[in-house]
Amino acid sequence: MLISLNWLREFIDIPSDFSPEELANRLTLKTAEIETVIKQGKHLDDIVIGKIQKLSPHPDADSLTIATTDIGDQSLQIVCGGANLKENMLVAVAKIGATVSWHGTETITMKKTKIRGVESHGMICAGEEIDIDDPNAGPKDILDLTYLKSAPGTPLATALSLNDIIFEFDNKSLTHRPDLWGHYGIAREISALTKFPLKVFRPTTQIPETGKSPQVTVETPELCPRYSAIIVENIVVEESPAWLKSRLKSVDHGTHNNIVDITNYVMAETGQPLHAFDLDNIKEGIVVRSAKPKEKITTLKDEEKTLSTDNLVIADHEKPLAIAGIIGGKHSGVTTKTTSILIESANFKAAPVRNTSSKLGIRTDSLQRFEKSLDPHLTTIALKRALEMILKVCPQAKISGPITDINNFDYKPVIIKLNTEKARTKIGVNISNKRISEILASLHFEITEEKEDSFTVKVPSFRSTKDVLIEEDLIEEIARIHGYEEIDEKIPRLPLHLPAKTPLRDATIEARKTLSYGLGFNEVLNYSYYGITDIKNCLLSESDHLTIKNSLSQEQTHMIISHLPNLLKNVQTNIKNFPDLKLYEIARTFRPTDDFFPVEDTYLSGIITSPKNQSPFYDSKGVIEHLAHSLDIKLPRPVPQITATPYAHPKQAITYLSPSGATLAKCYHLHPLVLRNFDLENFQVSGFEINLSELISLKKVSKTFKQIPKFPASSIDISVIFSLDVEVQSAIDVIKKSNQALIESVALFDNYQGPGIPDNKKALAFKINLRAAERTLTDEEVSSAQKNIFNNLETLGGTIRNK
Amino acid sequence: MKNSQKVSKLAELQNSTMEKQLNTLQEDALESLKKINNLEKLKELEVEYLGRKGKLTEILRGLKDVPAEQKPLAGQLSNKVKTIISDAIEAKKQEIERIDVEKSLNEGFFDTTAPSTSSQIGTIHPVFETLTEVENIFSQMGFTIADGPEIESEYYNFTALNIPDDHPARDMQDTFFVEQTQHPEHGHQVLRTQTSPVQIRAMKEHGAPLRLIAPGRVFRNEATDASHDSTFHQVEGLLIDKDISIAHLKGVLEQFLTRLFDKKVSVRFRPGYFPFVEPGFEVDFSCLICEGKGCRVCKHLGWVEFMGAGMVHPNVLKAGEIDSEKYQGWAFGFGLTRLVMMRYKIPDIRLLTSGDLRFLKQF
Repeated sequence: MLISLNWLREFIDIPSDFSPEELANRLTLKTAEIETVIKQGKHLDDIVIGKIQKLSPHPDADSLTIATTDIGDQSLQIVCGGANLKENMLVAVAKIGATVSWHGTETITMKKTKIRGVESHGMICAGEEIDIDDPNAGPKDILDLTYLKSAPGTPLATALSLNDIIFEFDNKSLTHRPDLWGHYGIAREISALTKFPLKVFRPTTQIPETGKSPQVTVETPELCPRYSAIIVENIVVEESPAWLKSRLKSVDHGTHNNIVDITNYVMAETGQPLHAFDLDNIKEGIVVRSAKPKEKITTLKDEEKTLSTDNLVIADHEKPLAIAGIIGGKHSGVTTKTTSILIESANFKAAPVRNTSSKLGIRTDSLQRFEKSLDPHLTTIALKRALEMILKVCPQAKISGPITDINNFDYKPVIIKLNTEKARTKIGVNISNKRISEILASLHFEITEEKEDSFTVKVPSFRSTKDVLIEEDLIEEIARIHGYEEIDEKIPRLPLHLPAKTPLRDATIEARKTLSYGLGFNEVLNYSYYGITDIKNCLLSESDHLTIKNSLSQEQTHMIISHLPNLLKNVQTNIKNFPDLKLYEIARTFRPTDDFFPVEDTYLSGIITSPKNQSPFYDSKGVIEHLAHSLDIKLPRPVPQITATPYAHPKQAITYLSPSGATLAKCYHLHPLVLRNFDLENFQVSGFEINLSELISLKKVSKTFKQIPKFPASSIDISVIFSLDVEVQSAIDVIKKSNQALIESVALFDNYQGPGIPDNKKALAFKINLRAAERTLTDEEVSSAQKNIFNNLETLGGTIRNK
Repeated sequence: MKNSQKVSKLAELQNSTMEKQLNTLQEDALESLKKINNLEKLKELEVEYLGRKGKLTEILRGLKDVPAEQKPLAGQLSNKVKTIISDAIEAKKQEIERIDVEKSLNEGFFDTTAPSTSSQIGTIHPVFETLTEVENIFSQMGFTIADGPEIESEYYNFTALNIPDDHPARDMQDTFFVEQTQHPEHGHQVLRTQTSPVQIRAMKEHGAPLRLIAPGRVFRNEATDASHDSTFHQVEGLLIDKDISIAHLKGVLEQFLTRLFDKKVSVRFRPGYFPFVEPGFEVDFSCLICEGKGCRVCKHLGWVEFMGAGMVHPNVLKAGEIDSEKYQGWAFGFGLTRLVMMRYKIPDIRLLTSGDLRFLKQF
């Protein structure tokens, strides 16, 4: 919202030496944010009125003229191409240093220059070059300012009376302040912030006690607390006078005709929207009612809207005339043919008007005010102000009769008990009762009863529609006017206390360190949703997902049940630049349940890519083991199967199950179809998913010191050939079983297929450590153990290579 | 005393021929040793003096002529000489080896500038890196780190936070709704638009007093551009106790920001409206670049908009089942994502969710 300082000055005496910046700063710190302070005519610095003394032709260019121009303190030689140049003409001269918009487009700063060999000390400007309307100018005309009759050298901004300061408020910071949506309300607020005296707003229109009044029926009193209207006849609809137009223009309002401009002017002044109807287009009287189903109206913006029964309309006895509180209808609007008008000044309930606006997609200045909950007291004040202005602008106009005022609101002042001690403890500053009462009085709050520790406070009507209703609202008024900057920071004196344990958070931090800094992974942050295409590409089932009713795009329709689809998209993003990817993310997944709330599990999921001939599966498996170790958790032995993971290769997958059967983690190669769907056929890709929420529920390993071995270990290396389908784990198991007392560890150190080994076979090499706690093993014991190991491996189908 | 007696007896012995021979041997050996500067020569010298057919053995052959009572002393003396010589040889050996090694240090060329062979170094996402720091600072001030569901109910996300049914924040254009049957108390499921519902959950679960932050992912149904994304992270703060004031909020926030940015940061409050607080304010912090003097980053204001905050509204305390006559406090919420963007000068929010390693590897 734009607020003009000159306009404000009609209601409050702001001293001329009080800087607009200071005013803006105070408003920002105590009331609402001012985004910018716009100095009218700022862009006209170094542009002055010049008088053309002499014109002479340019020696070298027919289209150019040399204009000797008087700018007060000196005379300048300026080369100009203007077609309408005349001697004694007053023009706008951009001096050296001025900023102009060259031919209305490129912004340039004036410099002394030579044009076709002739020196030019500035520029005589066209309207478009200095952003001033010049509707009658021909294509090569410069701006003719002779009508201003200003002395040469007068700054152009002064000559054009562009001396106003415009404050641009952040509308969002005014949402809870219906009283601040007009100049008078802002002036009232400034008066509280500055103690500058405020003038009383009291239009002095004489309204006849008898005569013709509008017929008004309000069918929905709950939606329209007040409807005031009056008839004015004998008006002449024409262009508004210059002062009225320039006022509206200063706050960025368009201008239409005197009547419409006056309604906008009064709204900008009081915050109360008004609407003028052409009386001749109203059949019988005004009816405020709900729209009929599918009722149609063409708005002033020439758009046809189809209404529904929850939209409120202003109608006559035949048709809708306006959408209540939002916009007028085209056919009942004021035109140059209009001679009699009905002016509406009504109050509508905020929420229904706002709902109608968002459903129909219409936002207007009127709606912007009604949706804040306006004070119903305003309607007649604004109406009287409009009448006052109509009589000023259009003196022959005649008010036909009294105001019709359908009054459905039952005003009871808001009375609040304020505990002043509570105010002090909440603010954290020792503000005296005297200061509190001064502050409240400055804001027009009335203290009806004053006790040592409590005030009874009556809230002014313009603050009591929704803004100030409880004690805390008063505390806010006290705090902000006293000044938030006056509150010194304090550290709370609270007892020492140990924050609650956060095992899931601890695990995520540990996981990040382990994966990123230990294992070389990069963490990504993906959305919590994906689309049908992703679901299909990952062979998932759509019905397992929660869906978003109002999603932003086709890629964001379903809540994730797995991170893999989004991680696979990350792989697609990066694979060209980084063929060996190691990515992970830690985030929630969402599974619908029979309860209202879905299950949200925090998963750590990752993906590893490698060339086609490698098996990143084992790297993924290693991540799970590594992380479990970092978290002091002993993982159960994984089972060679996987469920509910359709994007995994069913035979190249494992699952870690908790003792109670919950999935702790899984690890797999991606399904070949999925790889194909993501154009990753030329890679081998593994994934892992760790349910951190489950994992942290496992008991941590308790660490106890074990005696460091005193006697040496004996180690045996065994190489054994097996069919490909013999699992390494079963070989390890039979090795261990062959001498549980002495075998300390079994480690696979080679797993080989290729030359030297028959097809469909593999050679496994193990290093086996044997140790007894209380003695050195004898050669006999070692070779007897070795013999048992050989036997067991052979029973499993192996052929010992180094027997 | 016994030692000195032995020494005097030895002195006697030294007068004998054998003694002279032994002493001469020792002197010769030590003298020859001085000139030796390689291991082969040293070995030769060792053999010459101490070898099986060496000079010492030769002298000791004369032991049989020594009177019986002097034999032990002669033995001792010869042992002593042998030890002195062999110690000297050993010392010489170590010296030669040290010199050889030291010489070898200058041989050949070793390139220390070649890159390390450490494994691939990964990265933590900047949002989570900063989040951990934020959590640690508040945790050190005794704030519990709390958590709540990301799919919330309309009740927790709006109603309990004093946001009425007709409030613009509930509009479809701001909130994602989940396709689900409406619940009589909870209303619809929504993707939480703020971390504030955790306030209510924590109040109900723990009661007052309460000191917590609740960081997390939030969602807005907003068109995406360089500064808006449909997903971002917020941090909620809540402090409820007997006499908690606005002044305390100022104090805690200054401590937090000063620690996070590692330089003195001040905050200022401006009036602001949020339904779940009263009074409510916008909080700015002094621009980190110009320290309040005004620069391009802060649009010449000297202050950077940071968060919304306020004293918890009595209706919210009531929804959280806390007696607003007995307890009071403040809450704040700030955009962690925006803080991260400011901190690392990230110009486009979409980079954070891009998954592009060329971006991620910078952190």
